[in-house]
Amino acid sequence: MIRRVAGAAAGVALVAGLSACGGSSGGDSKTLTFWMYQDRTPQAGQVVEKLRSGFEKANPGVSLKIVKIPKDDYNTKLGSAIASGSVPDVGILDQPLVARYALDGTIAALPAGVIDEKTYYQGALDTNRVNDKLYGLPVDHTCVALFYNKTLVPTPPKTWDELLATSEKVHADNPKVAGMVVPKGDGYGAWMWPGVVAGNGGQMVDLKSKKILWDQPPAVAALQLWVDLMKSSPREITDSDQAFANGLAGMMISGPWDVATIKDQFPDLQFSVAPLPYKTTPAGNIGGEDAVVFSKGKNADLAWKWLAFLGNSTNNTEFAQAMGGFPVNVAAAERDASTFGADQAAFLEQLKVAQSRPPLPQWIQINDEVIAPALEAALSGKSTAQQALTDAAGKARALLGWTA
Amino acid sequence: MVSPVLADKPTATTEPGRHSRRPGRGRRDHLVAWLLITPALIYFVGFLLYPALAALYYSFTDWNLRTTPDWVGLANYKDLLFDDAKYPHFWQSIKVTLQYTIIAVPLTMVAALVQALLINAIRRGSNLFRLLLFLPVVTAEAAVGAIWRWLYDPQYGLVNAVIGLVGIPKQNWLNTPELVIPALAFIAAWQCGISMIIYLAGLKGIPSSITEAAIIDGANPWQRFRRVTFPMLRPTTFYLLVTGVIAALQVFGLVYVIFSGRGQSVTGGPEQSGLTYVLHLYLYAFRYDAMGAACAMSFILFVFIMIITVLQFKFVKQEAS
Repeated sequence: MIRRVAGAAAGVALVAGLSACGGSSGGDSKTLTFWMYQDRTPQAGQVVEKLRSGFEKANPGVSLKIVKIPKDDYNTKLGSAIASGSVPDVGILDQPLVARYALDGTIAALPAGVIDEKTYYQGALDTNRVNDKLYGLPVDHTCVALFYNKTLVPTPPKTWDELLATSEKVHADNPKVAGMVVPKGDGYGAWMWPGVVAGNGGQMVDLKSKKILWDQPPAVAALQLWVDLMKSSPREITDSDQAFANGLAGMMISGPWDVATIKDQFPDLQFSVAPLPYKTTPAGNIGGEDAVVFSKGKNADLAWKWLAFLGNSTNNTEFAQAMGGFPVNVAAAERDASTFGADQAAFLEQLKVAQSRPPLPQWIQINDEVIAPALEAALSGKSTAQQALTDAAGKARALLGWTA
Repeated sequence: MVSPVLADKPTATTEPGRHSRRPGRGRRDHLVAWLLITPALIYFVGFLLYPALAALYYSFTDWNLRTTPDWVGLANYKDLLFDDAKYPHFWQSIKVTLQYTIIAVPLTMVAALVQALLINAIRRGSNLFRLLLFLPVVTAEAAVGAIWRWLYDPQYGLVNAVIGLVGIPKQNWLNTPELVIPALAFIAAWQCGISMIIYLAGLKGIPSSITEAAIIDGANPWQRFRRVTFPMLRPTTFYLLVTGVIAALQVFGLVYVIFSGRGQSVTGGPEQSGLTYVLHLYLYAFRYDAMGAACAMSFILFVFIMIITVLQFKFVKQEAS
């Protein structure tokens, strides 16, 4: 027991070791410490090294130290490092954490003049916006889109009605195959769902008037769509490992990371990717990485310069791809779009209409503990979509202290 | 606790010759003793005692790891126990953990005992079987998670193939709320190697004269097990019960690897049916930004485990007979 407590106790002691490499050492020559995720591939490591030395060359007397941490441990280690007072100067930060870190002053607001906002995609930039101020810069962005099995689904559906009809046809043609891998009521499904709501012109919340909107008709219809899709997409099929890649489902929603994996492991599968079907407005959700400057770090000017360097039209495509996403710099994206390959076109299309999560510090908890169970209640048939979402809205109001 | 034992040794020395050659050895031995236990002491104070006391302090604060902790008194404890809006799944996590403990602990002990009896009974190859049955314990947890996700696969899983042989329809094990805990408990029982080794040691410790006497008295194998072997194993069983319950109430790694496949966030399986207490605690500590509440959860668990353990010592028979 004590051992568990010790483990949970912020890993305070554990961080003593990390701090050695985390803190920036003082001195006359300027040192900048940048925290990022572990390289995904050896090539990505080479890109990062190239950018690092390029930045040092462009800024004589500056030494840039990059600390790489496995993605799964990153948030935990960063939190522990901050708790022990040994923050990096600048680092990658998970999108939904920006609001939390901004509101308690852990990260600094972007000073005027560092970048021209018009050079970035708005959706990606907005993931850094808290109370109308930017608290970081995006370095890459990504999104989910509709994967479809070309043998089972010759033309991808564009609208909700077509999606439903396609799913029903696939399952009717072969009852052993599911129409679509419908997302589940877990943290991952709850992350994707707002993109579907936006496809019906809906929003999750209205921050200005502090109102929950996911119990309103556009959102209820979005959940009802998933519920209706379940009829032609039984879970005993879609819960099988890699159901789509094994040819057991006609469609699924996933991100660009799955394109390479499926091609590699299932070379025979004929599939492609299309933008998400929508009802009234093309829309989707956004993921990817932001980078922030820590208030307690040193050399803030230099730190912002580094982030602008990663996001400029010369470097952004390379860095974004090293991170596993797409460029957030409009000029870079437009110039290099054709080099990404035909499978990636749908994601680029989708990113133009991708929307960011509400910048609420409690959003992850609401996503996991309120929205996910509501989705599952409707998907499992234990509750109607309207009832589940009304209940969830009530719970979220209690959590946020908002009035109905 | 260790130092007095070491320090006492010189007075009861068995080597008087060396003793006389080195006068003033008592004080020096004290120093040596302290030096010897220093690494352990540093570890204990730095990595166990200090974090535990710090966690106790933080449990009375509102703290997100970044800002200065805010003293809130007993609010974390009160909200955890009574505020359903703030912690919607606290009681659910307790329910899940108790269900898991009630199923996993007896299942693990029975599996361990049966395996130990079988290994004890065979003459040849017992080393090989002992090794094979122990392997699940030393297998990396991530690999265990991946393998069991395949075994429980609703379409291709071996578990469904086996139960299909006796006519039971296919189940969607890890995605049906009612089946999640039994499925997890079964994995735990499969990993019973350590209990099996301890039972085996207990079996070896039963004097053969007693068993032989029972055979001469005409007791059949079942009677010998019920009247001789099992009562003689009672201290072993008690030890495994107490440690097993403590471990089961803290189950974390297993649920984490089972439900974190393919890079998805862990929210505890379908309808939070696999949201164990420590997983819930972990999510609050590192995902929902509430380290203070997480520390309070760990102390609630600490007190609960202590009570359960005291009750076991009071009401469960521990002496061999």
